[in-house]
Amino acid sequence: MKTWPILFLILLFTACWLSTPALAGTGNATSCTKVTAKIEAQDTKLSADLRRIYREIAALRADFNKPGMREIFGGLGYIAGLFGVAAFVASRRKD
Amino acid sequence: MHISDGVLPTSVTLGGYALSIAILAWSVRRTKSEELPKVAVVSAAFFVASLIHIPFGPTSVHLLLAGLSGALLGSSAFLAIALALLLQSLLFQFGGLTALGANVLMMGLPALACGWLFQCFKGRTRTRQAIAGGLAGALGTALAAVILALLLATGGEDFYGVAEFALAANIPVIIIEGVVSFFTIGFLARVKPELLEPGMGLTIQNPNRNEVPNP
Repeated sequence: MKTWPILFLILLFTACWLSTPALAGTGNATSCTKVTAKIEAQDTKLSADLRRIYREIAALRADFNKPGMREIFGGLGYIAGLFGVAAFVASRRKD
Repeated sequence: MHISDGVLPTSVTLGGYALSIAILAWSVRRTKSEELPKVAVVSAAFFVASLIHIPFGPTSVHLLLAGLSGALLGSSAFLAIALALLLQSLLFQFGGLTALGANVLMMGLPALACGWLFQCFKGRTRTRQAIAGGLAGALGTALAAVILALLLATGGEDFYGVAEFALAANIPVIIIEGVVSFFTIGFLARVKPELLEPGMGLTIQNPNRNEVPNP
């Protein structure tokens, strides 16, 4: 009865010894290269996307600093209003 | 061509404010109330002109209109430019608020000089007025670049280097500005020549005003 575990262990070790080079050599290597290729593809795609988003953020920031319609017409209104007040005061003073 | 915050030393900033406020007070005193609408229109044009970017080669330039407003307004041009620059720095963040005095000097002094020169050399004929206006417009931008270099030289920059760079960078602006001023003054000389006179409308309006009795 004592031979069975020994036999099992021997079988296990031989199986391991036989299967490890197979795993490391062919199947594992191909799956590894596949996975790295996939990761690299994802990486390039993501970095391209990120670059696009960075560019968009920069464009938005430039747009944000650019004065819009509201500022332009606000400033024109200020000029008209201030000179209107000045003209009003001048006319009151003259009469 | 705007000076930003923190470029100039404090003494120059304060001096610029003091000098520009003094000239501004003189300009306000010299402005007749009948001229106020004209000043307002030129001020609004100056305010908006810096937004119109003209693509020129790799960069884009924008109009300054310092010379043109000087030619149109004379001594009131300083008031128009100071107000327009204040609103530009408040609303558009063009140039810092602390550098506003220096910026007003940079635009206002060329305007005054161009206005005076335009009145000296405009002559009688329309073409001569248009040519004088165009030269005033071009000179206004060039003078502004020189004053910019002077102001930056106080901050420790090399005057000739900055002046050369500012003038070279503004050559397209100088040309465009001259052309725009030429056509504007030519147009005004044709349709409304009294706009080009220094004290517009005073001789016509004052007698009428005195004849109408106050109710």
